[in-house]
Amino acid sequence: MALNPQYDAIGRGFVQQYYTLFDDPAQRANLASMYNVETSFMTFEGVQLQGAVKIMEKLNALTFQKIGRIVTSVDSQPMFDGGVLINVLGRLQCDEDPPHPYMQTFVLKPLGDSFFVQHDIFRLGIHDIA
Amino acid sequence: MDYDYLIKLLCVGDSGVGKTSFLYKYTDGVFHTQFISTVGIDFREKTVVYQQNGRQHRIHLQLWDTAGQERFRSLTTAFYRDAMGFLLLFDLTNEASFLEVRNWIEQLKTHSLSDDPDIVLCGHKCDLQEKRLVNPNRAREFAKNYNLPYLETSAKTGQNIDRAIEILLDKVMFRMETSVEYAMQCATGRRRQSLQKLQAKQDRKFCSC
Repeated sequence: MALNPQYDAIGRGFVQQYYTLFDDPAQRANLASMYNVETSFMTFEGVQLQGAVKIMEKLNALTFQKIGRIVTSVDSQPMFDGGVLINVLGRLQCDEDPPHPYMQTFVLKPLGDSFFVQHDIFRLGIHDIA
Repeated sequence: MDYDYLIKLLCVGDSGVGKTSFLYKYTDGVFHTQFISTVGIDFREKTVVYQQNGRQHRIHLQLWDTAGQERFRSLTTAFYRDAMGFLLLFDLTNEASFLEVRNWIEQLKTHSLSDDPDIVLCGHKCDLQEKRLVNPNRAREFAKNYNLPYLETSAKTGQNIDRAIEILLDKVMFRMETSVEYAMQCATGRRRQSLQKLQAKQDRKFCSC
């Protein structure tokens, strides 16, 4: 498969769609359709998860009622298998907590004329030194 | 600000158990809160007078609170560093937060300076009696197994809020006092001599002849 010249638009479109679902508690469960039952990986704050079921268990176990975010940047690259590598830098806020910076990396893998999330890595931007 | 001791205490527990309200109540809503976003720490300060062996000490308390990152299970080691004592809170109306107490104790043992850190366990929100899901005897039994003082607290009524911090402060001051004595012993050489003796004994034991 060849490089996808639309990688930048795909990256931005995906990020917008993903967070629209994620940030709405009523729609969050629909994120399951973006992951493969077996071949999707997530690393959430260092916890390794595989498959849509485990990934959704993790996301559903997060305890905030509402979450808002501002995405600072979406950087994407085409991959040689036709996929797209996406890195997001942003800031999120849960309930009344102070806002935290975060980074999230996705790899979209082509599937027919669409994509699924094969890799997803998430970290809050907090450090060991001030 | 003038003080004799600076004591850093941490408030930990699952998200939503009421850590921030607890500290807010303790400082009577009057505190200088500072948020250090790079490490995710919210801290407040209060100066108290502490009586020990008939002497008065001015103690400057730093009360460290998380900034919600525990929702993501992402406390960094910076948060625990140099902490002298821990307030471990769970919500009496939320059983899951009680079940997580065991994990929090493990975390504190891993990250704190001591293998046996000074902890006060607080069953919080005890004003919500009709919503209570954790039986007081069960919590007391648990605390006894871990050898922790246990109090039921409420930020709404103020019940045991000051008491919990006093108990923790007693434990921390006691540890400081005894460690000072220990350090003095080392300085006067008594302890060093006994260590040397022990070393000599061991050396003999491992001697090949």
